[in-house]
Amino acid sequence: MKRREFIKTGLSGLAAIAVGSVSLPHLFRFEALAAQRGIDLTMDAALVEMVDGSQVFHWLFGTPASGPSFPGPVIFASAGDTITLNLTNRLYEPHAFQIVGTHILSPAIAPGQTRSLSFTAPAAGTYLYSDPLNDPVHRVLGLHGALVVMPASGNTPYSFPTPAVQQLFNDLGTTPQFPRHYHSPAGWQPDRFRIWLQHQIDPSFNARAQADYLAGRPSTLTGAEMSSKFLPRYFTINGKAGTFSAHDPGVALEGSIGQPMLVRVINAGLFTHSNHLHANHFYVISVNNSVQENVLNLDSLTIKPLDRVDWLVPFKRPPDIAGDESLPLRTLIANELGLRINGPNGSVGFSQSPLVYPMHCHMEQSQTAAGGNYPQGSVAHFNFLGDLDGIEFPNTM
Amino acid sequence: MSTAHISRGVMLPAQVPEYFKFVCPPSSGGLNPDPQPPTFNIRRNLLVGMDLTLPDGGRVPMWIIEDPDNKQNGRTFPSAPIRIPLNALVNADVNCQGGTHTIHWHGIEPTPMNDGVGHTSFEVSGHFIYQFQPRHAGTFFYHCHKNTVLHFEMGLYGLLLIDPPKPAGSAVEGPPYPIGKPGFVAAYSPGTGHVIPYDVEAFWVADSIDSRWHTLDHTAFMQKCVPEDPVNPSYFTHDGFFNDFRPDIFVLSGLARRKSDVTPFRAAESPLVAPTLRIGQTLLARTLNADYLIQQYTIGVDALVVAMDGHALGVPPTEQYSHPIELPAGTPYRLTSAMRRDLIMRPTKAGTFPVTIEFLNQITGQLLYTARTSITVTL
Repeated sequence: MKRREFIKTGLSGLAAIAVGSVSLPHLFRFEALAAQRGIDLTMDAALVEMVDGSQVFHWLFGTPASGPSFPGPVIFASAGDTITLNLTNRLYEPHAFQIVGTHILSPAIAPGQTRSLSFTAPAAGTYLYSDPLNDPVHRVLGLHGALVVMPASGNTPYSFPTPAVQQLFNDLGTTPQFPRHYHSPAGWQPDRFRIWLQHQIDPSFNARAQADYLAGRPSTLTGAEMSSKFLPRYFTINGKAGTFSAHDPGVALEGSIGQPMLVRVINAGLFTHSNHLHANHFYVISVNNSVQENVLNLDSLTIKPLDRVDWLVPFKRPPDIAGDESLPLRTLIANELGLRINGPNGSVGFSQSPLVYPMHCHMEQSQTAAGGNYPQGSVAHFNFLGDLDGIEFPNTM
Repeated sequence: MSTAHISRGVMLPAQVPEYFKFVCPPSSGGLNPDPQPPTFNIRRNLLVGMDLTLPDGGRVPMWIIEDPDNKQNGRTFPSAPIRIPLNALVNADVNCQGGTHTIHWHGIEPTPMNDGVGHTSFEVSGHFIYQFQPRHAGTFFYHCHKNTVLHFEMGLYGLLLIDPPKPAGSAVEGPPYPIGKPGFVAAYSPGTGHVIPYDVEAFWVADSIDSRWHTLDHTAFMQKCVPEDPVNPSYFTHDGFFNDFRPDIFVLSGLARRKSDVTPFRAAESPLVAPTLRIGQTLLARTLNADYLIQQYTIGVDALVVAMDGHALGVPPTEQYSHPIELPAGTPYRLTSAMRRDLIMRPTKAGTFPVTIEFLNQITGQLLYTARTSITVTL
């Protein structure tokens, strides 16, 4: 896959905006990422289709050009950039904009009004923006999105990496524990990232907001009742769920052995997730914009409401494959890679190549939709397309 | 209403088989596709029904994974622990009855067909020989990964421990080391090959049970399987309640209490849950959240966290970016589902020291139950 195509698919499903001097020049080749000094952001209503086809009312951020999106558009910036937002409220109650974990906060914007907010992009890392009013109602009804701030220099995602994070990134592709993919340069490539913005939806609250909206009046929902009675029925990553999130190119981790990838995990909802990645332990490199001094290597991790957690997924050869570690996988597991298993109910056979694993939340209520339909919830796929030597696995999926 | 509509996503015609596989995995069985000569053999049967007995004589129906080679303790809840020496090439012969199942070896990282996830490989019909070769010593667990929201809750899980080799000359039995007895654990210790001894072993595997869930069929609330149109909205079920977990029973390593019963767990019930050791001895506690709640552990003696999720903190080459974590007595830590921490304790005072595990709702944070056990230290 060419780098340009990669960037396109890496953002698939997520609307995106780049500002100022963001230091990833190739991002600007993606047409949706026109560099701009001021961003027009609207707060508007939309119906969002759930994985089971039901339509659920939301309040969403969007742009005048592309309309509302779920979640709101990703904003890319460089550390120190000045960002100006022109915020327009198209709803019936006051709304606002904040960046969680910072002092960046707009004044309340009355219905029908536009207000501007200028701020300096915070330190490089992963951020959640949201509407903080009537907390957590406005955020949970959909008014949230991701802000990604890139560092001006260096080989990590941060302006000020800790010694442990710096050492980890220096070691990628240069040490026996992280061998380099044959066709890739050493180190982490800044375009090898994903955003997993996780969210949960209890449609009973959305239905009440919808009734008020249709009547042209402000919502009467209170933060207290939402915080105490929230019982989600849908669980999303980047606005998608189940088979749609697992197969979304902007959600699935994809690459070959030896091509590490950064995952920016964010929880915009009220349910505490416990994300479990199969096939590789991941390194926890930043938690809520604190670059980690003690870099844990885990297979499962708590993602609390409002958390922003960066994982480095090493894309190592899954370490516990039985047999000789020096043999290429096309030799060691030739039969598995060539196997087709017949499906149920007369469906076609299923290839076992390339190597596909899941990431799912282990608080397994999150693996459901509408009370069941396992696993149509908060799930992603983790796909190994080829081996360390640059030879791809047969693509017979 | 002139509002925008946002689609759940688009399934391209070429993706229909993959989308179908995701909701309705294929089933298969038999030999491993790429068999390697094993050095360690285990067998497991699932599912097997059993009742969990409460202190008041009440019973809760459970499903467990049976160890057919252990006639005395092969049918337990949680399912029987598996202990494997580091680097063993494992043959795990899994027999399934009462429908298809899988076993996922959580934290072990083999090929997809040996990973036990239906929608990324297949579900086992009849029997299958899983193979894997664990290359990290530590605390893992195994569980069924079909309709997991229900099967994990029902008890289809157990501890999976990978034991490091003992130093030359050690008279300790193993590896695998006997449960609860002296052994060796992987931990940062450059002078001893990153393996340290312990004298007493404790298991704090905490779980909770919503007894409403324990009367259901194993395919409860699953989607209808139609290959040509797998995500048609009319094939989704809408009568399920798997998003609504309301536990009324709380469990520590298989010992159960009703919500209203705050009786502490005692050594007489299980020394694995309420361990006893002498001053000068080392206690290894393995903690696992096998639950859908947030759990907060507070231990009344100083502890050192030596491993998380089966990887020993600080040990080169892959763990050299971390270090063990000191946990002074009374410092709480939280685990959510599937997370593990291994703790080493070397108490210097005699007495009985409290250990509490608080169970917190995963949405509201409300405290639902406090499980109380203890560590007894003698002279």
